[in-house]
Amino acid sequence: MNRPLTTLVWLLAFTALAMLPQVLSVKYYLHLSILALIWVIVAQGQNLIQGFTGYVSIVQAGFMGIGAYGSTLIGIHFGWPIWATIAAAPLITALFALLTGYPSLRVKGHYFAIVTMAFNLIIVIVLVNFRELTRGEAGISNIPKPWDGDRDAYFYLALTLAAAMTLLAALIARSRVGEILRAIRQNEDLVGAIGIAAWKYKLFAFVISAMYAGLAGALYAHFQGFINPEIFGVAQSLDAILAVILGGTGTIAGPVIGAFLVVFLPELLRFADSFRLILYGLILVLATIFMPIGIVGVAKTVLARLHRPGARHDG
Amino acid sequence: MIIRTIAGAVALAISIAAGPGLAAEKKLAVGVADALTGGGAVYGLPQANAVKMAADEINAAGGIKVGADAYKIDVIAYDDKANPTEATNAVRKLIDRDGVKYVLGFCCSGSTSAVASFIAKEKAVMLVGNAAERSITTQKIPNLVRTRPPADYTGQAAGTFIARKGHKRVAVVGALEVGFYSQYVDAVEKELKKAGGEIVAREVFSLRDRDMTPQLTKIRALSPDALLVVGYVEPAAFVYRQSVELGINVPRYGFTSGSEEQFLRVTTSEQMEGVWDLRPTELTLLSASKNGIAYHENYARIFKASPSPSSPYAYDQLYALKAAIEAAGTVDNTEAVAKALRSLPVPPQVVMQYQPVDGKMFDENGQAYTSNGAFQWQKGKWVFVEDLPSDAKAYSLFLGTLK
Amino acid sequence: MLIEILQQTINGLAIGGVYVLIALGLTTVFGILGIAHFAHGSISMFGGYLTYFLMTGYGLPLIAAIPIALAAGVLLGALVEMLAYRPVRHANHINAFIVALGLTMMVEGINLQFFGHEQIVIPTTLSRVFDIKGVTVPELRLYVILSAILLVAAMMIFVEKTKTGQAIRAVAENRDAAILMGVNVTTIPLIVFGISTALGVAAGIMVGALFAIAPGIGEGLVVKGFAVLILGGLGSFPGAILGGTVLGITESIAAGFISSAYKDVIAFAVMIIVLLVRPQGLLGRAP
Repeated sequence: MNRPLTTLVWLLAFTALAMLPQVLSVKYYLHLSILALIWVIVAQGQNLIQGFTGYVSIVQAGFMGIGAYGSTLIGIHFGWPIWATIAAAPLITALFALLTGYPSLRVKGHYFAIVTMAFNLIIVIVLVNFRELTRGEAGISNIPKPWDGDRDAYFYLALTLAAAMTLLAALIARSRVGEILRAIRQNEDLVGAIGIAAWKYKLFAFVISAMYAGLAGALYAHFQGFINPEIFGVAQSLDAILAVILGGTGTIAGPVIGAFLVVFLPELLRFADSFRLILYGLILVLATIFMPIGIVGVAKTVLARLHRPGARHDG
Repeated sequence: MIIRTIAGAVALAISIAAGPGLAAEKKLAVGVADALTGGGAVYGLPQANAVKMAADEINAAGGIKVGADAYKIDVIAYDDKANPTEATNAVRKLIDRDGVKYVLGFCCSGSTSAVASFIAKEKAVMLVGNAAERSITTQKIPNLVRTRPPADYTGQAAGTFIARKGHKRVAVVGALEVGFYSQYVDAVEKELKKAGGEIVAREVFSLRDRDMTPQLTKIRALSPDALLVVGYVEPAAFVYRQSVELGINVPRYGFTSGSEEQFLRVTTSEQMEGVWDLRPTELTLLSASKNGIAYHENYARIFKASPSPSSPYAYDQLYALKAAIEAAGTVDNTEAVAKALRSLPVPPQVVMQYQPVDGKMFDENGQAYTSNGAFQWQKGKWVFVEDLPSDAKAYSLFLGTLK
Repeated sequence: MLIEILQQTINGLAIGGVYVLIALGLTTVFGILGIAHFAHGSISMFGGYLTYFLMTGYGLPLIAAIPIALAAGVLLGALVEMLAYRPVRHANHINAFIVALGLTMMVEGINLQFFGHEQIVIPTTLSRVFDIKGVTVPELRLYVILSAILLVAAMMIFVEKTKTGQAIRAVAENRDAAILMGVNVTTIPLIVFGISTALGVAAGIMVGALFAIAPGIGEGLVVKGFAVLILGGLGSFPGAILGGTVLGITESIAAGFISSAYKDVIAFAVMIIVLLVRPQGLLGRAP
């Protein structure tokens, strides 16, 4: 697709989403849409490190937790307004990401994945046991909600931020930094060989992705009004990976579609009752086998075929 | 075949035509949000079963009667995996999409607290079951009530009991990362200290741990006078077994509420002999009450498994709701029903032994209190030995001062 | 103090043995196929459930139920390779990981559907407790440790001495060279998955007999299994054995002498520190 057409599709999608509060008569779907928009931010962050850089991080939900608890606790202890605490959340998360990124990024591939997963487990254990600060497993209730909990307004906040973060991800992807990140994914040694300090760029991607998660975590906290460590476990980090893969790795639209999928699909499968888990697992397996390039990948292939009949799409 | 189809069509046509005229056939949808899968399912699934059982009983007896109408209950149960996000989604779906006004179940504290944090703004009534975190009923949420008493209400009584036995150095091993379990232990500690005793160790296990020998080895070296085990049944059963295997030979007290079946899966009866369980007087095999015996029989017959001791908390929710709706004379006005719940005498059909405060099942905080009992494992069974000294009225006042 | 240290070491050995078996299965699959087989824990627990079911449902004695469960494990492993992993063999490794996640959910769902939400314990009659100068060792625990050692030894002999075992090692070390040497790379993955799943089932039976099987236990174990792999070195057999033992004892010592609440944090911290000092793990080959 050419540039103007792509822009048009994005604008249409944004407009369609912006009309949701007027269109949806059942507020339950609006509720899910807000969650999905928050997950768009998580997934865009995950895509930066997983999709572009090729490092599969399993700590995104842990970083969401740091953002959520950071924003909530600053609000409780220092009385900052909600906006200030939400803005502070990504910064706090960045600090933790720097500390964990350094040891994690010394290793590659599966080692990196498992070390980050260990960090996610550690974050949850500390959130559970450091009760003086976090109130432990019981969680924190009555976190202030802006606009007195008006869901339509919060939807627009989430939509604006999700759009902004998607735009930022697109800018990073197009920049020289994005180029280097993709080069690292393809051949890290080569990047080092031409005199670029790959570790700086990897750490940058890791910290930025954590900041995305931190922001999303803060948004989650002030939307739901309740947080506890359970929400920020490894299972949710795996959801972030799923969102990227199902939507389309290394694309900008992929995480958006993937985020809506990981939020809506389990809810749509509620009809299956006790078979829900089995069915969800089966869908994942089948989707990965038959659609390994994600929905955006499939769509691109189809569009390319339509444009150039008979031509093979590669890339 | 054709005849049957025609007959079916005719029957359908008649029922459609007659529908509005037959006041007796009204439906009331009641939602259940509970852990039906995952680690919390041990508590959640029996609760969901219990609500369905109660609904069938009430329907068979003519339903909920409001004025001239009788409502048959339709139970819609969703899985919340004991996860806060899933629980919020499930209840949002129940209220927003299914149009449910009454949500029951709620076995587990995290998911319950998440729903409690927004329920006040909804035109709905929430009835909490097994979730024991105290703060759920300290927030004065007008449309929320809970059938299970908070853990420290029981802990206080347990502490008095343990102190009276003359123990000075008590070692604790438990799911202390869970708020209400540590609240229980805090309450025990307070009573122990009054009697000059102390807690010498607070060792932790988590829901998935099954090997508590490291914690117990540490405790063995401290030579305590008594061992106190607080936590979920499944790991707790292993604590009892492993304490015997490690040769820890001191009186053992617990707050676990497990059934005989749940313990005997893990331990031999000899390994359990003499263990005390200091807990609300929930369901036991040797249940004293007539309702308890009937509940046990019916549940076992319908679901081919013995009921978990805490499952009647959910069963009782539906009978309390029925009584409140009938007292309020409306199914639509949830505010009136919520108010009726808070001025309800204990309905005769409930299974747990509630201690009414000022004659009411739920106090001003929306909290119900059962009596607390000391149960002892004797030759393969939990035997009720004595009531624990507990004062529902005093605790209710204390709960009201918290926020 | 000495008794306590000895006791904690014995305590840690049992769960350490389970970790070793889980990690051996994971490391074989990883070394040869490069797959992070996340579903391994849940499938292992399925084997444990099956053993329990054969005993309580069909009245089989434990000694008869174990071989059936192990055989079922071999079959199940081969099936999983063929139906789930083979189609994504040439895709990015992350795709195999997603397949593994999907499989985990399916198997957890199936376990729940067929075996229920209550924990199960495989019944045994071994209830004696040995007391050696203040260090207590339950009979059952001793047998679990011994069986783990036996299985590990059998596995080592298989890999070192048999032709199939050597072929497996050849593929693990250099896939392309192995193909040139005429090793069949279609059947090797089947055999590898069969063996690793059988090892997992053995671990599942041990967990089920000594501890219990319940929803979520398998997922917890597989996370520990991966930690062992990192600790010992991905794809390394001796690394898995050393790593599993070290992790088991570390957890027990940490819980006994430092903090039971933070015992997992300490175990993971040890793993991360080892990784900082030796990025290839304790016994892994230098990259």
